[in-house]
Amino acid sequence: MEEENQIKKNWHDKNYKKLLIIPVILLLFSFVYLGIFYSQNGSFIKKDISLQGGTSITIYNQINPEDLETALGDKLEELTTREISDLITREQKAITIETTTDAETTKQILEDYLGYELISGTNADIISTGSSFGESFYNQLLLGILIAFIFMAIVVFILFRTLVPSTAVIISAFADIIMTLTLVNILGIKMSGAGIIALVMLIGYSVDTDILLTNRILKTQEGSLNKRIFGAFKTGITMTLTSLFAMGIALLVVSAFSETLTQIFTILVIGLVFDILNTWITNVSIIKWYAIKKGR
Amino acid sequence: MKKLGFRIWLLIILVFLSLLSIFITSSGIAFFQKGVLITSVTQNSSAFENGFRQGQIITSIDGNPINSIEDYANYISENFPITEAKKIIITTKHLEIVYFSDEAFDITVSEIPKTSLKAGLDLSGGARALITAKDYDLTNEDLDNLIEITRNRLNVYGLSEVKVSPVSDLSGNNFMLIEIAGATPKDLEEIIESQGKFEAKIGNETVFVGGDKDISSVCRNDATCAGIEICQQDNSGNYFCNFRFTIYLSEAAAKRHADITSNLEVNASNPQYLSQPLELYLDDVLVDSLLISEGLKGQVATQIAISGSGAGTTEEEAYDAAEESMKKLQTILITGSLPYQLEIAKIDTISPTLGKDFVRFILLAGLAALIAASIVVFVRYRNLKSSIAVIFFSFSEIVIILGIASLIQWNLDLASIAGILATIGTGFDDQIVILDESKNKNVLSIKQRLKRAFAIIMGAYFTALVSLLPLIWAGAGLLKGFAITTIIGISVGVFITRPAFSEVVKRIEKD
Repeated sequence: MEEENQIKKNWHDKNYKKLLIIPVILLLFSFVYLGIFYSQNGSFIKKDISLQGGTSITIYNQINPEDLETALGDKLEELTTREISDLITREQKAITIETTTDAETTKQILEDYLGYELISGTNADIISTGSSFGESFYNQLLLGILIAFIFMAIVVFILFRTLVPSTAVIISAFADIIMTLTLVNILGIKMSGAGIIALVMLIGYSVDTDILLTNRILKTQEGSLNKRIFGAFKTGITMTLTSLFAMGIALLVVSAFSETLTQIFTILVIGLVFDILNTWITNVSIIKWYAIKKGR
Repeated sequence: MKKLGFRIWLLIILVFLSLLSIFITSSGIAFFQKGVLITSVTQNSSAFENGFRQGQIITSIDGNPINSIEDYANYISENFPITEAKKIIITTKHLEIVYFSDEAFDITVSEIPKTSLKAGLDLSGGARALITAKDYDLTNEDLDNLIEITRNRLNVYGLSEVKVSPVSDLSGNNFMLIEIAGATPKDLEEIIESQGKFEAKIGNETVFVGGDKDISSVCRNDATCAGIEICQQDNSGNYFCNFRFTIYLSEAAAKRHADITSNLEVNASNPQYLSQPLELYLDDVLVDSLLISEGLKGQVATQIAISGSGAGTTEEEAYDAAEESMKKLQTILITGSLPYQLEIAKIDTISPTLGKDFVRFILLAGLAALIAASIVVFVRYRNLKSSIAVIFFSFSEIVIILGIASLIQWNLDLASIAGILATIGTGFDDQIVILDESKNKNVLSIKQRLKRAFAIIMGAYFTALVSLLPLIWAGAGLLKGFAITTIIGISVGVFITRPAFSEVVKRIEKD
């Protein structure tokens, strides 16, 4: 795209409106997908136990996950397991078991299977969330994101004080979140509170480049419109690539030991990739259209 | 070299102060200190009696220097268990302890913390519980009461290193948050969840209930009026231990006792006692039934002996069980009952085992991310000076955030660390904006160019700031750590590091 912008400026001038088809199709697909997903699951995400209630027990021992799943699969509801391993030796250090069965029952079943007592805080970590609290926590977080988004939108309007450019920024941020959510669901990632944190971080990150772009287009006069767009693109893509590169590397490191951080970084990486699309196609096309109409 | 501007000085001073705040701990500058820190001493153990206290730093034992946990562990494994009482001289930082006993030291030790940074429960280990009422909305007043009662109960159980605080969420639901650092106490759920409804009844009439309205005082920790009386083995080989303690009723409750007993008959088959017993109910379950001696009929009795028992397969087990039930009953009689049932909304227990590795891995992840980002910056600008400046300023930003965290005693949990990482990311982005704007030769003065960069940075800052605000309250404060850390981080960035960075860029551009 860098090449195209610089050499075939005319190509972009001719086709920038058509380019909007890509995000529109993706967005429509996301809406349909999320709609179907909602009708099947009753929520927009696949909730982990911290959002739907249930038990997560981490046992500090070398336990084969497959054996455990085969043995207990029919006793513990919606059982999933995850290994925790040493970063360097890759040796298994612990296993995390998640189920929607309540803590007491789960602990008993696991103790029967393992043949020894699980003492929380000593040889096991137990996280138990009541289902009604899980539900209200989830609703709270949704409400939180919604308010965060509205606050962000208000600030954007105050910053630019013009309808179309502000709306373009907001639409790009919105598309980022919707597309990220869709891909997260397609990948089958079970979201926790940490995932929601990542979505809020994404609002911040995705708006960064949009603000940069809008500022360069509306508040500077030097150079042609395309030059300003390209200048913004050069800066913005460096920003996003830097973040992507740093987060990709961090993701590799944290994936071995922290589910929480892994989820945050995974969602951020996905979101940043969509942000490239939404800033440099969605937002650019709308604001270019607007600027040409206004004769800037 | 030109003089440094005030923005750079401000940054340097803040970095310096932050380093002080991070590295000066309660035991001085711990970085160069040798020894092991005593983290706990079992009450009434011989270690306690010999003068060991929490917070002391052991530097040598019997002349052997103790520089690390390994040294300590080696000493213990070589010299214990001992068969007969032995004199051991332990040197701590401030005094010498002469230990004379045949028991091992009943203490736990750890490395001396090198910094005053506090790790959150998910890194250091501990338990955290969110409590709410079942089918009942807690008002602020209820919550204050609940917290008061819970604090008392935890105190009676000897758990004083506990933080109990009120939290609420965006919809105004109130919760009680209990946080316990370190090892998770046994039966924690039971202690915090029990409603503690205590009723003493004769027939259907309530004589007294738990709490200071009916009970003026409860004897405990005093062998003359509270303790385990006898332990016995039954036919099936199980052991039973009986406990008994005295309580003192208020005048009103004693009067009630007199009124109710005056209507009772003497038991025909057992004429020493009255026809109906005094029944003790805990959370609506009958725990004990006491025969009332015939002499008490119609008497205003202010002193009542409460008894009960504990069972176990060994005598020791039965004794412990009896002691446990006695404590529970005493607690409830002192603190009174709650007018609603409690429910654990969420309870997390995290063992400290992974904590150390975690911190190491996180540092590794942060460093890797920082290096990765710097490589991109270097490839893009091909300018060593700018690239080094970018790394330096991101690093100083982390130092200042950590400095503030240790100053305000903020617990750094996983979410806060995610927040710090988010801040570094934003910092990089902003610095790239400054670098790019400063290189835009279309505008005449560098001052104007930087002003433009700051317009973008401030815009991004305010959008990020407002989107973080709801997370402070959403979800009963569970995401507060992330929100606050990130807000501190991006604010430090925008008001301190970025201005200093732009000054450096100005210099680089002018050179």
